[in-house]
Amino acid sequence: MRHLISMLLQNEAGALARVAGLFASRGYNIESLAVAATHDEDVSRLTLVVFGDDITVDQVVKQTAKLVDVIDIAELTRRDHLERELSVVRVESVGEALATYVAKSGARVLQREGDMAILEYTGRTDEVDGFIGGLRGVARITDHARSGVAAVERTAVTAGLSPA
Amino acid sequence: MTGADIVVQVIADEGLDVLFGYSGGAILPVYDALFRYNAEHARDDGGEPLPLIVPANEQGACFMAAGYARASGRVGVALVTSGPGATNAVTPVRDSMADSIPMVVICGQVPTAAIGTDAFQEAPIGTIMGACAKHVFLVTDAQTLEATLRTAFHIARSGRPGPVVVDIPKDVQNAPLVFHGARELPVRGYRTRLHAVQSATPDDRACAAFFDALAASGRPLIYAGGGIIAAEAARALREFAQTFGLPVVTTLMGIGGFDTTDPLALGMLGMHGTAYANYAMDDCDFVFALGARFDDRVVGVPDKFAPRARTIAQIDIDPAEIGKVKAVHWHHVGGLDASLRALIAYGKRIGFTADRRAWHAHVEALKASHPMNFCRESERIQPCAVIEAINRITGGQAIITTGVGQHQMWAAQYFDFRAPRRWLTSGSMGTMGFGLPAAIGAQFARRDLTVIDVDGDASIRMNIGELETVTTYGLPVKVVVLNNAGDGMVRQWQKLFFRGRFSASDKSLHKKDFVRAAQADGFEWARRLDHPNDLDATIADFLAFDGPAFLEVTIDPDAGVYPMVGPGASYAEMITGDWIPSRSAAAPAEAKPTGMF
Repeated sequence: MRHLISMLLQNEAGALARVAGLFASRGYNIESLAVAATHDEDVSRLTLVVFGDDITVDQVVKQTAKLVDVIDIAELTRRDHLERELSVVRVESVGEALATYVAKSGARVLQREGDMAILEYTGRTDEVDGFIGGLRGVARITDHARSGVAAVERTAVTAGLSPA
Repeated sequence: MTGADIVVQVIADEGLDVLFGYSGGAILPVYDALFRYNAEHARDDGGEPLPLIVPANEQGACFMAAGYARASGRVGVALVTSGPGATNAVTPVRDSMADSIPMVVICGQVPTAAIGTDAFQEAPIGTIMGACAKHVFLVTDAQTLEATLRTAFHIARSGRPGPVVVDIPKDVQNAPLVFHGARELPVRGYRTRLHAVQSATPDDRACAAFFDALAASGRPLIYAGGGIIAAEAARALREFAQTFGLPVVTTLMGIGGFDTTDPLALGMLGMHGTAYANYAMDDCDFVFALGARFDDRVVGVPDKFAPRARTIAQIDIDPAEIGKVKAVHWHHVGGLDASLRALIAYGKRIGFTADRRAWHAHVEALKASHPMNFCRESERIQPCAVIEAINRITGGQAIITTGVGQHQMWAAQYFDFRAPRRWLTSGSMGTMGFGLPAAIGAQFARRDLTVIDVDGDASIRMNIGELETVTTYGLPVKVVVLNNAGDGMVRQWQKLFFRGRFSASDKSLHKKDFVRAAQADGFEWARRLDHPNDLDATIADFLAFDGPAFLEVTIDPDAGVYPMVGPGASYAEMITGDWIPSRSAAAPAEAKPTGMF
């Protein structure tokens, strides 16, 4: 099952590598990983998607919570949350089908030169998947970058799951 | 002050009285600062306040620091250089992590500008150690050096203890800095979690639930691990066990956490535990796990472990250990000492009593019917007889260190331990070569105690260079090598699982003369013991020698470690061997190769 894990991490040398390494050493393939500084520049928000059974993911979350650099960690999957993913796509397309699709899907055109266009689309992971799927019907995708999921809980909390 | 001076000053402020390390290019400024510090702060007798003990190899230095930490409960410190110096420290760092031993390893690193250029003696220590240590710091900003070092000590000793590595580029060691004397890094996530566990004791509702379950139990058993020793909770454990009448089994790491001569003590459980400890675990209906992590060498098959337990209760300072292997019915995350004392106080307040006479009689009968034993009529020296002979003299008060393998298990089974921090062994990692350097470190920590490295002929070879370290520093460490001409435990498994094909485990053609090797390294007292008739007199002479002593004992190469619960087997399938009565039909002497380890 899919697990969406969110953590606050101190901006220290090697901190990201230690988190990634902990997942890797247990054989987890990280499906997506988004990381950037928060409003506090000493703190990064890291959002990670992995697939695995509940018990083993719960254990790896507990182990991650022991890393000294980790300030806070929460499994958002079972909490009411909002998640978004950004997708930037380069396509080649002739005719009007692309413009129609862009208008219908709510994507933005970042650049257009002749048959080539670069589009931006933001949504939940399944919405991005759907957008890409539909796009294939009207254009040829030549390049594609996804940001990975960024997420926050719907209601403000001071701290997430804080394993003691 | 320079960064290097600050390194030495913080170490001195932490109250260390000995350091272990091997020099090299990238750590030279710290070594120089240490030299100057010792010269400027010489004691009245001319002695150095921070003597630096130089091993044969950095692995030795770090195991000495670990032995010092295990014997004293204080943080051990090792100072090594970059590259190979630091990578030689990886095994002891991982070993200390796996056994929760507080240690700070300070590594020199190539200058900041050279990092990542494949410079001479450069290795990515942050990445390598990050996967092995409790934490690793790479000091990239010299201004944070002092706070980082102090924080490293705090992290090493607090919560569940562990090794912390501080990687210091040479330019940071040379940087002119101001010493503040009191700074630490915020590490706020760590501190928040630490505060939560340190201040947590079971509340009245939790205590009530615990004693309700205990009252419903007829056969409660304490399963105590290394956490008891790390938490200095041995007294609380004894009071709890005696107040409420619970027998105690310990893990390998928990040995000494409960006086092994106490009537309630059942010794070690698990793969090579005593038969009566394992039978008690099979028979009990309530397991109280204290600082124990249900390791595979204890539990075997998790579903079949403690099969009659209606309640498993667990206290651990590490939330990740709760229910990790086996689901528990009651748990508390917190320090063992305070938590046990809270439970004792609550139990006394409610006047908790339970009639344990039947259970105690049952446990006594298990001990009487299935005692530890071995062949006592052999013409060859039995390893367990050697340990019994030493134990008759040391009486459970000596510090015993070991390598890994059969000799380690025999020592765990046949020595008495009257107090914590007397039994130093590489439990989780199982690192051969641990015994000799750990004994050296332990002797520095406890000058007042006899320190004996009970080693195997294969294990001691791994760090045999440290024999010279013993004599260089004039330590009265006693080294006894139980020589069975090979990797005995490997042979035991090959007998059981590989039809006796002794692939690469036989050393009977090896040429080493251990006694001459010890003599070459300066051991004045170095002897070989070949005949059972000489056993008691030789052991007495060996232990009485006032200085370093080395004893090689030629033991029966066919002696096995029993009981044995095979890998991936349940306690019901325990093999007790020829000399310990089993309560079930004998298991087959040979098994199929197993995927378990």
